[in-house]
Amino acid sequence: MVYDDFRGFLDALRKEGQLLHIEDEVMPEPDIAAAANAAPRLGGHAPALYFDRVKGFTDARIALNVHGSWANHALALGLPKETGTKEQVEEFIRRWDAFPVAPEWRENPVWAENTLEGEDADIFRVLPLIRLNDGDGGFYIDKAAVISKDPADPEHSGKQNVGIYRIEVKGRRTLAIQPVPMHDIAQHLHTAEERGEDLPVAIALGNEPVISIVASTPMEYEQNEYELAGALRGAPAPISRAPLTGLPVPWGSEVVVEGVIEGRKREIEGPFGEFTGHYSGGRNMPVIRIDRISHRSAPIFEHLYLGMPWTEVDYLIAANTCVPLYKQLRRDFPEVQAVNAMYTHGLVVIVSTKKRYGGFAKAVGMRVLTTPHGLGYAATVIVVDEDVDPFDLPQVMWALSTKMNPAGDLVRIPNLSVLELAPQAITPGITDKLIIDATTPVAPDNRGTYGTQVRDLPETAGWLARLRQLAAAG
Amino acid sequence: MSDTTPPCPAALCPRCAHETIEHITGSPVPGVWEVLQCARCLYMWRTSEPARRTRRDAYPEEFMLTPEDIGTAPEVPAVPPLLKARGRNGYQVTGSSYTP
Repeated sequence: MVYDDFRGFLDALRKEGQLLHIEDEVMPEPDIAAAANAAPRLGGHAPALYFDRVKGFTDARIALNVHGSWANHALALGLPKETGTKEQVEEFIRRWDAFPVAPEWRENPVWAENTLEGEDADIFRVLPLIRLNDGDGGFYIDKAAVISKDPADPEHSGKQNVGIYRIEVKGRRTLAIQPVPMHDIAQHLHTAEERGEDLPVAIALGNEPVISIVASTPMEYEQNEYELAGALRGAPAPISRAPLTGLPVPWGSEVVVEGVIEGRKREIEGPFGEFTGHYSGGRNMPVIRIDRISHRSAPIFEHLYLGMPWTEVDYLIAANTCVPLYKQLRRDFPEVQAVNAMYTHGLVVIVSTKKRYGGFAKAVGMRVLTTPHGLGYAATVIVVDEDVDPFDLPQVMWALSTKMNPAGDLVRIPNLSVLELAPQAITPGITDKLIIDATTPVAPDNRGTYGTQVRDLPETAGWLARLRQLAAAG
Repeated sequence: MSDTTPPCPAALCPRCAHETIEHITGSPVPGVWEVLQCARCLYMWRTSEPARRTRRDAYPEEFMLTPEDIGTAPEVPAVPPLLKARGRNGYQVTGSSYTP
């Protein structure tokens, strides 16, 4: 199932029983964020939330937790809502093989119905903004796709970027944005600023669900997010040209905000409760001037709560963090079997691999650190044998319990790069990183007294299927 | 432009205690709430939020900001040197790629 706009997906969620309409009147704060904080606690089938009676507003529609469970993530990919986590990652890997699928330019975008320009381009007139966490410095927009181009190579569609960044509302026509130095938009801004230019941006809110997934996928600099969306959808992503900046934006967005990141300007921003489960802020960050807002009639504001994991953001950046790391590792090391980078956007990465020879698992661990995403994340890498499922944490704990001897299996590398939001760093942006080799040593690494490992009986798989049938029938 | 309210104790910024508070917007249903912003630390809040977010005397200490905090805040990301300043072939600054 392919959705071309946000509303199509909300309809699908409703039909699947995965959208909860809160019909009571609620306070903008703290009710809406608290409900979205609570929703993932309902488990793997937690629903999205929809509010349309918000105190003081006459015309507010707010959807949250749209990707906030494995069931909703499966539906976003057009899979049955019962699809397991590992199966969703495996399907994501298969679909990535079709990358790139060129987007389709489409006329009459749904967001072209209404336009606000100049002084009328007041974000408060379009979005029912709400605060998420107590310490946040203001109202945030944290699930919008921000589109920009490389000012040094604006015709290169691969170098254009579609990414989700934290955006603080600083005024009616003023926003702040956080371009983490490891992320593509920071490279665009750097190029613009060293030329003394502003960086034009388009901010697309309320997108079909695959756009949110690709916009938060750690792709390589020259990979085009829309071309990945086409591969994941199994159909080209429909896009249209934003009227002021000419930037390519999703055809089906609810709202498109256009303007510029004002070059060489910084202003106090934050704090904001981040995906690390900690606040960050009190820093001087870039400022966006809003020049034009286009929006669908009766727009729906899609928002995302994030706090102490797991919340919606953890589901949104789970599978899509595993897959590019898997692809990049497999290029050099086809022995790699699976990658679980679901925890805090891959600050911990678990890799299962076959071993060519003694010491190989540590080399795989070091390669994780030097992938583009690993440069800013991957503070801890756990490498396990090929028969350990990295998505099965009890199995990973078994590997740590029995395969790891600190005398030779901990590789600590000092002073490597990490994103500045990582709270464990001594100096923000610099941390030691750790590779834990929890694989069984192979020759010529003859440490340990492993003997022979107990394996599943050959008949076990058959019995598992039989027991499932019997249990279902009973 | 934003309206500026006269300083009064009730309108102290909950976060940094600054006295100049700007009115950003009001509720579409008249009189239900206002959105205010501190002119110094740029903290923004809705008047209908709980006291822990709107009143100086109830605001959590761990979130308070001082003028020193604001003055010493790091720049993220750092503004790079201008290409011309680095002497690279006299690169011409062109300005924004569009003029609204």
